[in-house]
Amino acid sequence: MLALEFPEINSLLVWKNLFDGVGFNKIALIAVLATTISSLLFFFATRKATSDAPRGARNLAEVIVDFIEDGVIMQTMGKEGLAWTPFLLTMFLFIYLCNVPGIIPFFQMPATARMAVPMFLAGLVWVVFNATGIKHQGPVGYLKSVLFPPGVPKALYILVTPIELISTFLVRPFSLAVRLFANMLAGHILLVTFALLSEALFQAKDKALIPVGILPFIMLVFLTSFEVLVAFLQAYIFAMLTAVYIGGAAHPEH
Amino acid sequence: MPTAIVTQLNGHVVQVRLASETTDTTAPAALESTATETEAVATEAGATETTAATTAPNPIAATPNELAWTAGSFLVLFVIMRYFLFPRLKKATDARYASIRANVEGADQVKSDARSAVAEYEAALAAVQAEAAGRIDAARQTLDNERTAQLAQVNARIAAARAEAEAATAQARAAAQSQIATAVATVVTRAAELATGRKPDASTVDATVKSVMESAVTR
Repeated sequence: MLALEFPEINSLLVWKNLFDGVGFNKIALIAVLATTISSLLFFFATRKATSDAPRGARNLAEVIVDFIEDGVIMQTMGKEGLAWTPFLLTMFLFIYLCNVPGIIPFFQMPATARMAVPMFLAGLVWVVFNATGIKHQGPVGYLKSVLFPPGVPKALYILVTPIELISTFLVRPFSLAVRLFANMLAGHILLVTFALLSEALFQAKDKALIPVGILPFIMLVFLTSFEVLVAFLQAYIFAMLTAVYIGGAAHPEH
Repeated sequence: MPTAIVTQLNGHVVQVRLASETTDTTAPAALESTATETEAVATEAGATETTAATTAPNPIAATPNELAWTAGSFLVLFVIMRYFLFPRLKKATDARYASIRANVEGADQVKSDARSAVAEYEAALAAVQAEAAGRIDAARQTLDNERTAQLAQVNARIAAARAEAEAATAQARAAAQSQIATAVATVVTRAAELATGRKPDASTVDATVKSVMESAVTR
């Protein structure tokens, strides 16, 4: 009735290369912009040291650092985890700035809705928390603390050890990557769906259908504002889980 | 006549779909962006003759170029943040916190000094007040002593004047009584002389008069 053709999902995610030969598409552009914007923010924040109350870029940078230190590290790793601030700060900023383009006109695509971004980040977290565990406890000690968690009755090890093995070494990176990827992809598809529906109704040949187009349009506006929250929330969750995994690997007794 | 639209990406067929010429092909926004990268080749064919050979990449698969750019971007950001930007921010923040802490400590010192100055002032004020109270008490004591002494002097003078007056009164009364007794004795003697023709004994008359006057005074 509406002659609405919904594009296949892959056509929503495939982007042409902006430069030939280097595979630099919109996803790569967003990733590079995330790095550039983060670097510029902190560059301008640290350009001039002042003893006055921070303002502008400096204020924003300090708020973000405080959020990572107080809201993520102190909640999960304690004071000794503050050495991880640069890593978790980078993680949070990069993910957030890769999420946000999903609601920015002309970009309209979160880079994290492509599996490459969450997969790399989850893989990196997997390497980092395992390396941290080995560094703090030694290979045998780390493996022992993972497979035989302290405080569990020995009889339960038959059940717990395989679960912990799969959970720590397989499920963690998988769930980290899929959580971020699926949330952002779902949000992107929802926005496309309601945008297409709105456009189709507003341009319908049957004039009676045109006013109905306001309904999906309202939903589109609501979902766009919801994606603002999702973009932040997913970055926060990823950083928080990263801190939990690293903290758990460094101090299993906690 | 239906038209088969073949979508290609980088030389690979990613989508084949059928569309009639009368179809309202409202192009979705996201599809428009891919339209520029596709080479649409329309070929006439029967609907049953078209084979939909969709070979588009898996939407959940990670592509190597995106993986490489993501890894490069993230690692560059991490290195910049870890070794340059975050330490500078932290250093400046720590310096500012140290400055604020020093200012707060300075303010605490000033407040402490002010409190001790106020305590000293209050102690001095209390000492002055105590000294003033002592002086007032001493003055009051002096005044009391002087008043008591003056009262005693005045009372003594009054008592002396009263005693003197009482003595004079007694003397005058005695003189008056003597005169009266003499006069009464004279009258009594004359009356007795007239009555009896003989002059009574003077000492008897005097004793009688004196006795009568004393009994009259005591009555």
